[in-house]
Amino acid sequence: MSNSTGATAISANETPADDDYFTNVEGVGFIPRDIYKYVTSDPVGDLPRYSVHIVIQHFLTVATFMVLVSTGLPLYFSDLFWAPYVISLFGGADTARLIHRIAGFAMIFTCAYHVLTIICGTVRRILNKEFDYKRTQLPRFKDLFDLIHDIKYFLGIEPYRPKMEKFMYKQKLHYLAIIWGNSVLIAAGSALLFPDIMAKIFPETLAKLLPTAAEKGGSFPAFFQELARLMHADEAVMALIVLSFWHFINVHFVPGRFPFQWTFFTGKITREHQIEEHFLEYIRNLEEIPEEREYIKGLLREKGFDQSQVVSVSDLPRV
Amino acid sequence: MIASLWLAAAMILLLLSSPAVAADKENCLMCHKYRFVGRIDENGKRFNYNVDENIYARSVHRNVACRECHTYITKIPHDPVTESVNCANECHIKPPFSKEKFSHKKIIDIYNESVHAIKPEDSPELREAKPYCKFCHLNPLYTRVDEKLIAFEKTLRRCLNCHQEKGVTQAYKHMTHRLRKKTSRSHQELVELCSKCHQDKELMGKFNVSKKSLEAVETYNRSIHGKSIALGSQQTADCVSCHASNMLHDIYKKDNTKATIHKDNLMQTCKQCHAQTNSWFIQIAVHPSIERDENPVVYFAGIFFRFALYGSLLSMVGLMLFETFGRKRDGIKFLLRHGTTWRGKSKRFG
Repeated sequence: MSNSTGATAISANETPADDDYFTNVEGVGFIPRDIYKYVTSDPVGDLPRYSVHIVIQHFLTVATFMVLVSTGLPLYFSDLFWAPYVISLFGGADTARLIHRIAGFAMIFTCAYHVLTIICGTVRRILNKEFDYKRTQLPRFKDLFDLIHDIKYFLGIEPYRPKMEKFMYKQKLHYLAIIWGNSVLIAAGSALLFPDIMAKIFPETLAKLLPTAAEKGGSFPAFFQELARLMHADEAVMALIVLSFWHFINVHFVPGRFPFQWTFFTGKITREHQIEEHFLEYIRNLEEIPEEREYIKGLLREKGFDQSQVVSVSDLPRV
Repeated sequence: MIASLWLAAAMILLLLSSPAVAADKENCLMCHKYRFVGRIDENGKRFNYNVDENIYARSVHRNVACRECHTYITKIPHDPVTESVNCANECHIKPPFSKEKFSHKKIIDIYNESVHAIKPEDSPELREAKPYCKFCHLNPLYTRVDEKLIAFEKTLRRCLNCHQEKGVTQAYKHMTHRLRKKTSRSHQELVELCSKCHQDKELMGKFNVSKKSLEAVETYNRSIHGKSIALGSQQTADCVSCHASNMLHDIYKKDNTKATIHKDNLMQTCKQCHAQTNSWFIQIAVHPSIERDENPVVYFAGIFFRFALYGSLLSMVGLMLFETFGRKRDGIKFLLRHGTTWRGKSKRFG
């Protein structure tokens, strides 16, 4: 579907690293890799990225996460000076624990809602014969090569960033981490909330599977509970640190995105961002959205890229 | 008119402070009411023997005359006091519904069997270290639970249909003030009380206790019970919730079959709060400690998680900083220098 191997207009002698500088899209023309430098972008977003369900889920996740962190952290770090003050904001330890549980259930609901959205969307696409695993969060080897390519670009070895799909390597990594983190938090959290019931479910199942180990290896319930105590807190602290130091800065603070990205609000992505970081997705957008096709055709004509055969890369402004 | 109101107010105040005087039949307060009644011993330590009428009048022992506990006093002025009070004494208070004189003897019998009791074979040093009645129960501190917790007023209104208010109110309050909780102290006070000795490793070392007992306060404070209590929870287990039954003084070592924490009694003990208690649940450690020898998998998992935490944080932030730095050469600079897509048409490369 993608035309990454599209016709090139530049002779190999001139710029050997740039053999895929131009991408040929049928009915549009040859699109240079750095066209994002010339496009007009609406900060609120030009191209569709997330459905309204995903936007709602993101809001639910943000809200529940903030409540969970602010009620959970002071309980875990109860011996630190600020813990009693934060706890008293929520009406004492007992109320804070209740709020933590309610927010936990809300988070589980959000997860279920998300899984349902993903399943329904996938089924719909399969039925419409539109499904393409490359546009999903499924990790591929390409992501690893993209990472290496990107590092080379940051070092100055490659002239352009890799052509990436709708979800780039960072986003896929983060998504996988969220799946793992949420599963751990839900499993360990339920072991902390219903220790009596969970003490029966996990160890009893395991003891049935490994009868000899249960006799020799000591106490399964104690082991699982200690693990749950450890992992619930550890995953939560890790999630907080990753979100505040990585996700937030990556989305809003890095060059080109600062001071704010509206995607989580509008579900749309700016044209410039889409071409720069999700080039292959932009090519798909061109096929799906006629207006976008007209826009880029106009831009190519304006900038003289419609006669790519006579344009040399060295004429293009580079920094 | 105003003068008579003042007089009435003064009368009410006087009436409020009267019970202490009433219990002091033998007029001990003649001397002990003075703020600075006391002495300085040979080592220069100061003792104050003042009894505050108002505090005493609000304590549970307000109706007990001084000499019913301080029996060794036989004359006035009395000799220097060498004995301490014996809570097993019989006093002249008669409980309702029985003719016998009241005494704490029964609870002391239970205490005498518990781990805290002074045994004949104990050395003087150990005798000194063990808590007797007065260590935990200090008379002025001995206050009721907040009576508002119990809907006694509603219940009491029905009693008052037949009974006089004065007697029945006191009797009812007395009987119900422990119905809601095991102790009249708050969970926090109780943990503090037990910790006084049990976190003192030097003191506990004299009793040759196990390593687990030595660290019990530390590990409790690390558990979810301890953390919640520390933050003011009213619904979590404190020390005696698990270590004593409703008799409260029957605290034993865990290999004693009478102990609430003996492995045969754990089911019953945990069930007080955890309704679904089962044979698996009672194996969970209540005083969690992750030791390398006892729980190697969890111990190393903890180390692994720590590495994972710092590793992923460093690599992620590192990649981000690297990217921020690397992208500068594409002309993408921060807002203040060139602008972003926020301004509609990108001016970043202009």
